Amino acid sequence: MTIRCKLGFAAAALGLAVSATGTAMAGEVLDRIREEGVLRVSTDPAYPPQSSQTPDGSFEGFDIDVATELAARMGVEVEFVTPAWEIITAGNWGGRWDVSVGSMTPTAQRAEVLDFPAIYYYTPAALVVHADSAAESVEDLNGTTIGTCGGCTYDNYLNHNLEIDAQDVPPFEYVVEPGEIRTYETDTNVFDDLRLGDGVRLDAGISALPTIQAAIDAGYPLRVVGEPVFYEPLSVATDKGDAELNAEVARIIEEMRDDGTLSGFSETWYGVDISSVQ
Amino acid sequence: MAEQAGAAPPPPALPQRQGLGERPLRRWLIIFGALTVVCFAIGLGDGQLSRLVMPVLGFGEAAAGTLMERALMAVLAGVLLTLNAMVIRLMPLAVQIGVVWVELLLVFLAFFYSFDLSFPYIVERLPILIFTGAFTTIYVSLISIACACVVAMAGALARLSKSGPAFAIATFYISFFRGTPLLLQVYIIYLGLPQIGVTLDPVPSGIIALTLCYGAYMAEIFRAGIQSIPKGQTEAGLSLGLHNWLIMRKIVLPQAIKVIVPPTGNQFIAMLKDSSLVSILGVWELMFLARTQGRAEFKHFEMLITAALIYWAISMVFELIQARIERHYGKSDVR
Repeated sequence: MTIRCKLGFAAAALGLAVSATGTAMAGEVLDRIREEGVLRVSTDPAYPPQSSQTPDGSFEGFDIDVATELAARMGVEVEFVTPAWEIITAGNWGGRWDVSVGSMTPTAQRAEVLDFPAIYYYTPAALVVHADSAAESVEDLNGTTIGTCGGCTYDNYLNHNLEIDAQDVPPFEYVVEPGEIRTYETDTNVFDDLRLGDGVRLDAGISALPTIQAAIDAGYPLRVVGEPVFYEPLSVATDKGDAELNAEVARIIEEMRDDGTLSGFSETWYGVDISSVQ
Repeated sequence: MAEQAGAAPPPPALPQRQGLGERPLRRWLIIFGALTVVCFAIGLGDGQLSRLVMPVLGFGEAAAGTLMERALMAVLAGVLLTLNAMVIRLMPLAVQIGVVWVELLLVFLAFFYSFDLSFPYIVERLPILIFTGAFTTIYVSLISIACACVVAMAGALARLSKSGPAFAIATFYISFFRGTPLLLQVYIIYLGLPQIGVTLDPVPSGIIALTLCYGAYMAEIFRAGIQSIPKGQTEAGLSLGLHNWLIMRKIVLPQAIKVIVPPTGNQFIAMLKDSSLVSILGVWELMFLARTQGRAEFKHFEMLITAALIYWAISMVFELIQARIERHYGKSDVR
């Protein structure tokens, strides 16, 4: 009996000791990046033109270019990992990867588990309908069924509870009152339901204007309605706790904006410069 | 002679051979009617087929889209399907099975073909889907099933043991891992373990989740297999003075394996497909690549259908392997 008790205590003590090593120390991540010479970047290759996968398994897109340049200016190699979006936004990366250059909007909720050191561009969000739709303006979509990604900023916008936690957020208004919101795993699923026909499953969808344009270019029978409803800042994200890494990322992104590198990438992938506030 | 000619009762009337294949004509008519109604209901042949056939039957453009066109096409389809069934019934059983398989496969492929897929897109991405995707799916599943067998055997033995703690641990484990979704277990192992300082890579996390989940299901399969061996076998061993462990290893297990193999093969084929849940961790298995490759240029169906066919092919190979293993352990049944 005594032996069993002792064993129990030992196991508990071991558990505590192990758990104490889990939290990130200041500068720890940056030190490791420099030591190993590799910057691990999470990317979600489901979003052309930000990030998509080529047939040989490598990546391309705006986010990919920004991340590659970020690593180059840190003097290290870049390496991409592809965890699902909800794994990235759950935080507590535990050193599995160092930064997310994944077009993430710094919302108040996400800022509780992640740091957002640097905004690197601003993407317009727009409403999209089937080419046959009669809707001419955003107001025409009031009361209709609108599709979007679940738990994302577009979902928040449709629910009128979008809180972006960053400086220089362009002001916006809630101009549409959906009758019903249908949420999907990701907003590109919305296009697939929308292409079935006007009103078959959805009357409209909301997504990033560049993503909508990419779908239209790929032959989807879609049409953008009205002007963009809001511009969201998109940021590099890091795990909580490494101020030195954050400062370094912020410095490099600022540098890339000042010397026109971001504008150049933006022109390449979006055809317009959206690297600064509109 | 007279006896033979006169008194012989008339030969018993043979059952009238109506229609084909010993099936009365009336039944064929019912089948034809049912098929026609179904074809009409689902609007079969409204598309390209009717554009091809209607002019031949002497109907112009005016008939297109009318109810009559739909009815005509349904009757035509009904006739063809019924004739097809009649012909198939005349064949030997093995041929029947083969022909129906091929026909179903053709319908399946025609269904996919109707999506207007881009074949160059598929061909370009086939290498990564097979050499990275299917390869990862197979090795993750193989390692997981091997580990799950060990876990399941331990679980089954503990479940059958007379030790209180062993029984409790085994039943607790089986209850939890059978009672929660695999997706949740993947999340808990990948996101939860780092909270206590154990940070695992995606592939090991996935393998652990699959192992624990399938180990729980298979522990019950193993237990049932062991229990299916009559108690007399153990008693015979005891009377020979054999040790408990030796009885299990040399008498009970060899007989139990025969019972265990078919459901375990079933579990493995289920695991091949459940391993796609590991894709959320960023493991480049078949489902992950099918999704990301499809999204690159908004050609989801190309990649999803290709992945489906690859999964299917892999499953068929493992079905054959399972059949071989079953034959090996089923030797005692062969007379």
